[in-house]
Amino acid sequence: MLSTLLVQLLTGLSGASSLFLVSAGLTVIFGVTRVVNFSHGSLYMLGAYTGWSILSRLPREPLPFILGVLLTVAALALLGALLERLLLRRIYAAPELLQLLFTFGVVLVVQDATQAIWGPNDLPLPRGRWLRSFVEIGDARVPLYDLILIAIGPAVLAALWLLLTRTRWGTLIRAATQDREMVAALGVDQKRLFTSVFALGAGLAGLAGALSLPDGSANLQMDLSIITDAFVVVVVGGLGSVPGAFLASILIGVLQAFGIVVLPQATLVLVFVIMAAVLVVRPNGLLGRPQAIRENPASTTLIRPAEPALRWLGLAALILAAAAPLFVGPFLLSVLTEMAVAMLFAAALHFMMGPGGMASFGHAAWFGLGAYAAALAVKGLALPMTAGLLIAPLLAGTAAALFGWFVVRLSGVYLAMLTLAFAQIVWAVMFQAVDLTGGDNGILGVWPAQWATDRLVFYWLTLALCTAATLVLRTILYAPFGYALRGARDSELRAAAIGLDATRLRHAAFTIAGAAAGLAGSLAAFSKGSVFPGFIAISRSVDALLMVLLGGVQSMAGPIVGAIAYTGLFDLLLLATDQWRAVLGLSIIVLVLAFPQGIAGTAHRLWLRGKEA
Amino acid sequence: MLDVQDLHTHYGRAHILQGISLQVAPGEVLVLLGRNGAGKSTTLKSLIGLVRPTAGRIRFGTEYITGHEPHAIARAGLGYVPEERRIFTDLTVMENLEVGRLPPRPGLPAWTPERLFALFPNLGEMRTRLGGRMSGGEQQMLAIARTLMGNPRLILLDEPSEGLAPIIVEQMAHAITAMKRQGVTILLAEQNLHFATNIADRAAAIERGRIVWTGTIPALHADPALRDTLFGA
Ligand SMILES: Nc1ncnc2c1ncn2[C@@H]1O[C@H](COP(=O)(O)OP(=O)(O)O)[C@@H](O)[C@H]1O
Ligand SMILES: [Mg+2]
Repeated sequence: MLSTLLVQLLTGLSGASSLFLVSAGLTVIFGVTRVVNFSHGSLYMLGAYTGWSILSRLPREPLPFILGVLLTVAALALLGALLERLLLRRIYAAPELLQLLFTFGVVLVVQDATQAIWGPNDLPLPRGRWLRSFVEIGDARVPLYDLILIAIGPAVLAALWLLLTRTRWGTLIRAATQDREMVAALGVDQKRLFTSVFALGAGLAGLAGALSLPDGSANLQMDLSIITDAFVVVVVGGLGSVPGAFLASILIGVLQAFGIVVLPQATLVLVFVIMAAVLVVRPNGLLGRPQAIRENPASTTLIRPAEPALRWLGLAALILAAAAPLFVGPFLLSVLTEMAVAMLFAAALHFMMGPGGMASFGHAAWFGLGAYAAALAVKGLALPMTAGLLIAPLLAGTAAALFGWFVVRLSGVYLAMLTLAFAQIVWAVMFQAVDLTGGDNGILGVWPAQWATDRLVFYWLTLALCTAATLVLRTILYAPFGYALRGARDSELRAAAIGLDATRLRHAAFTIAGAAAGLAGSLAAFSKGSVFPGFIAISRSVDALLMVLLGGVQSMAGPIVGAIAYTGLFDLLLLATDQWRAVLGLSIIVLVLAFPQGIAGTAHRLWLRGKEA
Repeated sequence: MLDVQDLHTHYGRAHILQGISLQVAPGEVLVLLGRNGAGKSTTLKSLIGLVRPTAGRIRFGTEYITGHEPHAIARAGLGYVPEERRIFTDLTVMENLEVGRLPPRPGLPAWTPERLFALFPNLGEMRTRLGGRMSGGEQQMLAIARTLMGNPRLILLDEPSEGLAPIIVEQMAHAITAMKRQGVTILLAEQNLHFATNIADRAAAIERGRIVWTGTIPALHADPALRDTLFGA
């Protein structure tokens, strides 16, 4: 018994080491550049693939292994420096959300590029005998490689610590983490500092990637799976704190190792609960410092009811949309259904993001919860479709209310990262709870009720429900609640002075947005006839963000136009190429580079300039 | 040494500096006098490049530095000590000095921690203390010392006497005079008339983003009406 515990502990610690290597780079990069770098997971993945290419060509002895790993580190450091100089350097002044989106664009491009270079299959590394050997500790047999990994974590921590405290470069990094503008005013070229920090972080990610090979393989899922954990670690440890990242890695790593033995399904939830608990007690993480508040550019704009002309246009569009199926074929009908769902999904995100000032990176959580709730209601409980459509927003709203209690106390990057982490956890739960959800195979045969099986009827139903729900959101927005919400967003202090409780307003907005997204999810489930974990994937959350950003946050019309345009373009893209990730990723990168203040923000500025002229 | 011509600076759409022109000669102390909100800090930030001027020219020595990056301006020999001091609170005194260190300049003796500790004896007694654990006066001294580590030919001091006890203000005046003797040219922004006129050679008065008066300190003293418009109630 004791020995199983020991083995589990050691497994946890070795996992913690890899997690620390990735998180340390992420946190140092964030500390200095203030960029939350999604693509850090891609560097980890590239580290694994590069490591595979190098190591599989070398003899399977310890010394060549070490050499190959070091080579990988150097290659990744170079790549990281390149990535910074060519791309990330251009977005330091952009709003946080766009930075996050931008680096997600990089993730997509790297995924397709990696697949193009190394192929779609997992690449396991042939292991030499020394990598398969065990060490006897008491009556337990512990893999030697686990012990090596366990030692590497503290060794890297010590090396980083020496680097940060004993060298001029490290002193500059710590100074820049606190006040990079002042560092620049003292004559330090930030660009070089940033490039070198990226190289360091990428090198560490590459190290972690290469070191992960003996225990697994290089595969195309590792980028997003590690980045979620790393986000959690970095947030729990405190953004910018390397020792914090170390503590949090151990906490999360050990917790996961034990959780898998005790209660596999609850592990992820447990991780989340721990994270929530830490942040409630210490809002800036274990060893973090308060973040300077950045101005939210979206928040400086007013949201006004549409002009009468626009309203008539909307009505005309609605009539057209209702009449369209009489003239189009089945494919376009399914696109139209998708557009209606997307409209509600985007409007829900806009509701919390624009007026509420909470930019969620995990909006797919509510969409997916709604979809699964509806599917389980009709398949598991044999309830009618109408019940499913009712349960979905209720369940998604309830979940949003529970999770929201905690998340609305955060803002900016913390909020974005936590909503993302939450969505990933919901994803993983649905993926793992095979008995209930069918795991990767999903739930099939989620068909509408008898009276709505006709595609046409179902489309009308979807259009009616989505339009109605969007109008409800709009009504709330222009009711006193909506004005109070915007007041709280623009100045929490002023709102408090006139007796508004900003946290409660935000919480209510979060819950409403969750419920609306849940309804959208359930409609998507019945429309597709099935539900998969993909309903909750990060890329779906990003879809919603792109729709809102494409249309603009300033008006209710924004997300609607954005949803329709995005869905249409995306379906075209899917028809045209199977490299849709690369194309979408490149489009995101180009868009953010062209409009670093957001499309809406740029339009707004042009409009202001036009008015001045 | 420093020649500023018709400098304009905006924050967003607010037109803050509306045509600042001033000159600082080598070796002199020029004080920029003005009320709260007159635009003193904005002027200094525009000079060091932390905010980008929208129009005008800044010549430093023989070089035009308008629109250059702050680090390039600092490397050209312009030092900046911000009003808020902006000490690195997680770094020790020695580490703070290290961040400010730049290569020596030909013709000027390089500042070393030891020379700085002679100028600010308090600092020498707390080399390993964290910036965050220092009093306001000590932080102010450290902020100046840190900038001197870059061996500036001209230093921009933003209200170094602000919020300090009278005895510390006195020490500060001594240190600044000593700095001047060692060859540093100084552009000082101040509201504290007594402090400023004790150490400055010339004054420029700023009001609502414009220079409204320039002259010597005796001329300033001789003009009570001017002092009233600048600092009267
Ligand atoms: N970051 C800023 N954004 C907008 N306005 C500013 C900012 N900083 C200063 N101001 C405004 O510019 C004017 C000049 O400020 P400042 O240069 O700090 O004056 P001083 O240093 O003389 O007290 C003031 O009206 C102030 O409100
Ligand atoms: Mg000032």
